[in-house]
Order: sequence, then structure tokens, then C-alpha cells
Amino acid sequence: MTLVDFPAIAFAAVSCWVAGSLLQIPARSNKALGTLSWVFMIAGTGVLTWFLTSYWIALERPPLRTLGETRLWYATLIPVVGFIVEYRYKIVWLKYYCMGLAAMFLGINYMHPDVFEKALMPALQSPWFVPHVVVYLVAYVMLAASCVAGWHNVILGFRNKRSSKSESMSHYLALLGFVLLTFGLIFGALWAKEAWGHYWTWDPKETWAFISWLAYLGYLHLVARKTDSRKLQWYLGLSFFVLLVCWFGVNYLPSAQNSVHTYSG
Amino acid sequence: MAGSNKTVKTGAAPAGFREAALFTLVTILFGCGIEILTSGGGIDVPGWPFNLIFLLLFGGSIVAVALLFRERPMVSWLGGIPLGLSLIIGIALLSLVGGVLPQEEYPAGSIMTVLRLNGMFSSWPFALVTLIFLINLGLSLVWKTIPFRAANLQFMLFHGGFWLALSCGLLGNSQLERLVVPIYEGKASNVAYDNKTEKVIHLPFAIFLKDFQIDEYVAQFALYDPQHDVVIEPKSKLMPELHKGVKAEWEGIGSVTVLDYLPDALPDAKGMPVPVGDKKGVRFAKVRIDENGKISETWISSGSEALQIKPLFVPMGGYYIVMADGPPKAFRSNVMLIGDGGERKVARLEVNKPVDMQGWMLYQMGYDEKAGRYSTMSLVEAVRDPWLPAVYLGFFMIMAGNVLYFWKGVKKMEEA
Repeated sequence: MTLVDFPAIAFAAVSCWVAGSLLQIPARSNKALGTLSWVFMIAGTGVLTWFLTSYWIALERPPLRTLGETRLWYATLIPVVGFIVEYRYKIVWLKYYCMGLAAMFLGINYMHPDVFEKALMPALQSPWFVPHVVVYLVAYVMLAASCVAGWHNVILGFRNKRSSKSESMSHYLALLGFVLLTFGLIFGALWAKEAWGHYWTWDPKETWAFISWLAYLGYLHLVARKTDSRKLQWYLGLSFFVLLVCWFGVNYLPSAQNSVHTYSG
Repeated sequence: MAGSNKTVKTGAAPAGFREAALFTLVTILFGCGIEILTSGGGIDVPGWPFNLIFLLLFGGSIVAVALLFRERPMVSWLGGIPLGLSLIIGIALLSLVGGVLPQEEYPAGSIMTVLRLNGMFSSWPFALVTLIFLINLGLSLVWKTIPFRAANLQFMLFHGGFWLALSCGLLGNSQLERLVVPIYEGKASNVAYDNKTEKVIHLPFAIFLKDFQIDEYVAQFALYDPQHDVVIEPKSKLMPELHKGVKAEWEGIGSVTVLDYLPDALPDAKGMPVPVGDKKGVRFAKVRIDENGKISETWISSGSEALQIKPLFVPMGGYYIVMADGPPKAFRSNVMLIGDGGERKVARLEVNKPVDMQGWMLYQMGYDEKAGRYSTMSLVEAVRDPWLPAVYLGFFMIMAGNVLYFWKGVKKMEEA
């Protein structure tokens, strides 16, 4: 399957998520409709997983190189976090934000289609490629979920409906995200040594990865200082913007002209 | 990731975040002051053996102060979270400046060079904030390590690893050598160039280049719009690859079918392609163009600047059918490494697959890009970094600490 099929796939996935979400309303009083709702929501993610798999085969390389390809992965994985959180912790609202974010990423890909490009530059042909990018992807997915949970908690705070369960959820998502972010950073350094001769060169992408890592390191130290959880929700909501700069914003900065990470643009 | 439960009695912190933030700001301004006085000279990390002596004295002093004065309020503050957090923010903000502004040469006397904003990571503000951060990190590490408690293992590994990687990475930088060695097919060389100091260095071994090879991805053809300088996407949205029998269609414009493909050919006197040996010719393809019923057959070619053969492209409507060589898929140098003592080692240098020779790591770096796949020159990078094992030990300690943190986090999450 190639990008020709992408609009149909994206439409199918979003339709499934919308149908599943709408069915949640009558599902409160009807168990069968509840099951059907979940079938739709999971089917949306299933369709994307199927597309990613067949796209990987057609590309003859992992679809992890361009920004458009990484957005495809986010769109596939973010709803999964929402589903797991609901299944395990009975927090129902997170999945809607996650599906909304995923639909937004699919929309961006629809508006700015990638070119079907099999080429993978020699530096990217390494056993580090998949672990480095996948660990980062999952970290970003966790931290995106923690960001939306943070904003949700901020809104709950304004309405005097704070929930400690929901606040601890945003915290643990950030904690796990930070751990994976650290692995991504170090894997990147170890790979850079193999590919480019040195583990750290303050390349703009590296610098921004370091800044985003520091942002969440700061968060964990604020937690250790027992900072007011309401303030921490703001912090989590805003920290993700630093990650967004690292993910794609860095390409638009004056420093980007010297970057070795231009292939991801 | 500092734990909230203190294992040893420390003095009452005399000041909190505000003082810590002010202290960090003053440190940055002090660093900026040094830059202005030295016209943006930056910091020179001491070379061998002074970097090691500095590290030992610095580390030893931290341990001594942490153990002898742990109850002094000032020392407690110096190793506390408020200062640690302020310094993290300080480093993040300085990195932000370095991550936004291009880190390259600027005219002397400009604000960029006077404050060394174009060399942020070797500037005094960055060095001073990092130095105090290492003191802060070191003090908290000693307090969590002595007396030893298994419960603090994760803290020790993460913070100890970070301290080691950061300090050794920065101090070891003065001994890092990254040299470029150009080598030519059929010749040996031990002459290396240091791009930073522009010095010529003779390596203790020579590299003899037997053969340099480039594999390319399959060549492609495209419909080029000269008016807007863009490539028109075909109906299939795929950039068509050049294989015999491939057909590409552009809606409302026409279609192109590849009738024949010669990966290595040279034009004869009449301009007709004649197949030649590998790497001796350029790519040619015979195509059938169907321009809404008007059919023609012709040759297209990617040409080559190195062989001085012009590319062949043909018009279709207001556009052109053009051919492009595939980007490089892999490039490698088959070499013989000859030591000064006469020892010989056959090796293959390839991107992502460096080879070790007498403590030097040799990397396939590049080639003559103008000549492309006809290049007979290979650029090898020779790297020596004696501090690498210490930095890697730091990395692995951080990762081990992380595994424990992840495990603890998941466990707490389960309980939540």
C-alpha cells in the first residue's frame, strides 16, 4: 500500500473514531452498543496499523524517516495510550483527546502529502535507526498524552473539580515519557558515534533534544520538591511545546541551516 | 529525580528558589562579563594531563566539602534542589540561545561574537553554570551515596552517570582529535588534516585505498515544470523508477513508457548510446511518450558533469521528461592499513561501520561529490577520544538508573 491510498485510509480511521465516540453516548445504557463503540475505535487504529505495515513493505525501509512518516506513527499510537489508560485506570476522557490529536496529525499529512521516497541515506542505515526513533516516538506519545491530561486537569481546576487520580495520571505518563526520552537521547548519542564519529556535536536537533530533556528533568525535580500539583499541570501542558520545537519546529529556526538532521524535513 | 526523603541530616536551607535563581543569573552575567572583556574568546579546556588533574581535584573537593561541611546551611543550599532546578533552567536557556542562533563564524566585534552567542557551548556563561551544576549534582550524589543504602541505587546511578558523562565529556573535549584523511585509489597516505586548527598531522599508520565503491538507488524519471521549478506528481504519486516496461501517467498531460534502460552507456558520434563497462558511462533510457495520442520514441539521459556529458531531456506539453540518478545507497572504501611497524590490516570502511586501528577509529566520511559515482577519492575521518570509555560508563549508568526508575514508576502507577 502506498500514499495513493492514504486519503481513503485516513478517512476510514477518522470515521471509525468518530463513530466509536458517538456510540459512547447511547452506550451508557446499552452494553452491546458499548462493545460496538470499542470495535469502531479500535478498528480506526487497526486500519492505520495495517496501512503502516503495508507501507513499510512497499517502501522497503522503515517508515520512520520523514516528519510525515513519524506523524503516521503518532496517529497510530496516541489513541492506544488513551485506550490503555481507560482499560487499566477507568479514566474515560483521555481517549477523546488522543483520537482528536491523531485525527489532527492525519489531517496535517493529508494537507502536506509526503513524496513516496524509498531512499534511505547511508547514515540512517543502521541497527540503531529503529530503536532510536521508536523509543522517541513512544516517549513523545506518552508526553503528548501527559500534556493533554495536564490541560484537562487545568480546566478541571478552574471548575473546582480537581481529581487526584487524573493528576497522578498526567504525572506517571510524564515520568514514563521522561525515561524513554532519556533512552532516545542516549541511543542517539551512541548511534552518532558510529555514524558521524562523535556522540555529541551540539547539532540544533541534539541541542533541542537536550533542552526538552532538561524541561522534563526540571519537572521531576519540582515534583521532588512537592510543588503544588495545580502548577505542575500547567508545566506539563506547556512543556510539550518544547518537544514540538524539537520534533519539527527546529527546521524553521535560523540554526537549522547547519543541521545534519535535514533528512527529516 | 531527587528523592524527597533525605538520608542524612543536612543543614537548614537558608534560601530557596528566588536566591538560587538570582545566583544563577549573576553567574550567567559574570560569564557574559568575561566574554566582553576577552572579546568573546570563550573558554579553553585544559589539555592533558591538566584536565585529569582538574577533574581529580574538583571531584575530591566536592567529596570533601560534602562530607566535612554537610551541615553548613550554605553547603546544604549549594547541593539542594532549588539551586539544581535554577541551574537546569539556566543551562536550558543558554542551550536555547545556542539552539536558535546559528553556531558559526560572525564578523569580529558584532554582538554575536563579543558575547560569544555564536559559540555558546564553549562560552564562559555556559561553562560557569555547568561547573556550578556539577558541584550541585556532586554534593547531592555524595549525600545520597554515603552512607550507602540500596534504596538510593537508582539515584546514584542516574546522578552519578550524569556527573561522569558531563564532566568527562567536557574535560575530554580538549583531547578529542577528529582528522580528515583524503585517500586516492591505488595510493597510500598517512597525511591527515585537522579542520579546527588547520594543522597537518602524520598518523602512525598509512591507509592504502584499493577500491572505492558507491551503490546508488535506482535512477528515476520525472515531469519537470520549468515555469514553476517543480516536479509534477504522476497519477500514482510515486516517482517512477527506471526499469524496462515501467509506465507513468500524468493526468491530462500524457504518459511515458520505458522501452529500454542502459545503466552505463556513452553516446557515439550520432549521439546514440552504446553500452560500456561499469562506472564508465552514464544512464540512458529509451522512452515512448504518449502525449494524448501523439506518440514519439526518444532517448533520455541523466548526463554527467564529471564525464562532461550533457543530460538529455525531452519536452512533453509545456513540461520536460527528465532523468535523475538515484541518491547514494551506500559507499565504501576497501583499504589496507599499514602500521609504522609494518603490520598490515585489510579493512572495509563504510558509513556506520567504523574500523579501529591503533586506538584510532576510522570512519567512511565522504568522497568527491562532484565526481559522484566516478569518484576515485575517498575521505576518511580518523577519530581519537581517550575519554570515551568514561563518558560511555556515564551513559550506561544513566540507562541502568533509568531502568530502575521505569520499574519503580510502573509499580507506583499500578498502585495509583
